[in-house]
Amino acid sequence: MSLAVETERLVKIYGNEKTMVKALDGVDMKVPKASVFGLFGPNGSGKTTLISILVGLLLPTSGSARVLGFDAARDSVEIRRRVSLLPEGFGFYEHMTALENLVFLATLDGVPPDQRKKRALQALETVGLKDRADAKVSTFSRGMKQRLGVAQALLKDPELLIFDEPTVGIDPEGAAEFRNLVRRMNREGKTILLSTHLLYEVGMICTHAAIIREGRLLVQGSVDELYRSVREVKGFRYEIRVKPGSDMPLQEIRSMPSVMEITQSDNRVTVLSKNDIGSNLFSLMTKNPYKDIVESLTPVEPSWEEIYRFYQGGG
Amino acid sequence: MLKNALSIARKEFTDTITSKRLWVLIGIFLLFSIASTYSTSFGFIMGGRQAARPMVQIASAIATAMTYMAPLLGIALAFDAVSGERERGTLRILLSRPIYREDVINGKIMSALATIGLAIILSSLASVSVSILLHNISVTIDDISRICLFAVFSAVLSFAYYALSLFISTFSNKSSHSLVISIGIWIFLAFILSIMSSFIATAVLGPPPERAVAVFNMSRRQFGNFTTPGSVMLQESEEYLNYMRKVSEISSAIQAFSINYHYTQITNSLFGFAAGPLEFRQRESTMTSISTVLSTRLIDIIVLIVFPIVFLTASYMVFTRRQEK
Repeated sequence: MSLAVETERLVKIYGNEKTMVKALDGVDMKVPKASVFGLFGPNGSGKTTLISILVGLLLPTSGSARVLGFDAARDSVEIRRRVSLLPEGFGFYEHMTALENLVFLATLDGVPPDQRKKRALQALETVGLKDRADAKVSTFSRGMKQRLGVAQALLKDPELLIFDEPTVGIDPEGAAEFRNLVRRMNREGKTILLSTHLLYEVGMICTHAAIIREGRLLVQGSVDELYRSVREVKGFRYEIRVKPGSDMPLQEIRSMPSVMEITQSDNRVTVLSKNDIGSNLFSLMTKNPYKDIVESLTPVEPSWEEIYRFYQGGG
Repeated sequence: MLKNALSIARKEFTDTITSKRLWVLIGIFLLFSIASTYSTSFGFIMGGRQAARPMVQIASAIATAMTYMAPLLGIALAFDAVSGERERGTLRILLSRPIYREDVINGKIMSALATIGLAIILSSLASVSVSILLHNISVTIDDISRICLFAVFSAVLSFAYYALSLFISTFSNKSSHSLVISIGIWIFLAFILSIMSSFIATAVLGPPPERAVAVFNMSRRQFGNFTTPGSVMLQESEEYLNYMRKVSEISSAIQAFSINYHYTQITNSLFGFAAGPLEFRQRESTMTSISTVLSTRLIDIIVLIVFPIVFLTASYMVFTRRQEK
């Protein structure tokens, strides 16, 4: 597996001996290329510190980080040439227009002079702000500024995009647009590292995820792997929808070897099993009397709240 | 590296010269210097005399205004140079580009040098031109040379305060803190230190001796048929003069810590004030040549140049080593 980001025993300590705060405590993280990697954790868990180290804004106390093959501590300029960052709590020059801001940043990104304005306008169009290109940033709402933040990350053609809490402060419609943009960029082969404290965001767009808490990476892997490992411990859940007014016989299901629990409410039956009995259940549902009363059979993935609780040791 | 620094400098310079802050400061300076020159030329008229070098006297009046305005200009340009970017969150966006941290500082310094140069030249030119027009004064090549040198030293003084304030700004998280500290240091160096130095000198030397002694002039003069009688004059005693000399030596030694003191020493020499404290404010009848001024004030000039270098170096060290989350 080719990696875009790889950290090894990354430690970051703030303050002196008396005021010491361990923001990162031995983080080993692997972000595969062309993935949408969700770094999930509550506020203060070390996400921003980790991202800041990756782009060379902070130096690790110990350990190492490699981004696109470059050492984050030594080759940070090379990394920033290939990586776009949307930092948390960023700001723009409010007295300048959106276009002026982007053209200035494109200059620093090394975009050739004849392409700066074009790229800036393209980026504004991508985030739906082209019609506000000549408006001063001071007139922008928080959501518009956030979109402008995404636009500045699109100025160069980065291999890796890092978004730190990208949907904070934007409305649901804007957040949905952002997620579409992430999917589109991922389809173009770009790697996206997304830090968030919103669980649903991870589930909606990420192909891979990691959970960080108190500076420690609790788990990481593909979203499927994370689902599977939770299911292996907490069981596999299936939902059977039956036609309204039908009486669902449960005896045969109950007699399956690994079934642990069956609950029934209205026209919905939930089966919890220790092992994956999906194919067995499906075969059963195609037989009489089930085939005439069952509308659907779907495996239920664990929710991200469940996954988070599971990995942080809260059951 | 230079390309990025120049891009930042260009943006900074555009921001500064279009900001109200700069033009308000230049406006205040012009008003202040025009008022000073007017009062100087008013002094000529009231005294019923024409000064030997009126332009130099007017320029020295402008220098008084510059002593206050140049540091304020430097502080105004620097107090939020880094802390402002940090406060607004723009520093994060800047540092996420493929640039070195030095580029940010270099760009800001380049822009400040251009702005200070422009502001000092504009202010000096405007004040001198207005004075020439108002008072119909003729100007010599030597006058122009002295005014040019004065503008250069004023720019260095302004830049010294820029460097000091930039240093404070690099470790401040809030521009308001940076401004208060910078202004506080300026007030200390420009006003408090000179008052303190006199207090310390008199505290060290004790109370002054008797100031005046009576001198009897027994000689008589013959004016035709009339002979003047002898007279009694009061003259400052030798002890008192020695005491004052020591006071000024101690005071100067303490004030040597202030860059304003060195600047004043240079401009005083440049505009014909004798350097010695006792003769202070007594204009020499023949002005010292520019080359002599430069050689006798070499230490002051060196201090004026070294001061910003020290603080710029410190700013580089703090900014490039400070980690921005």
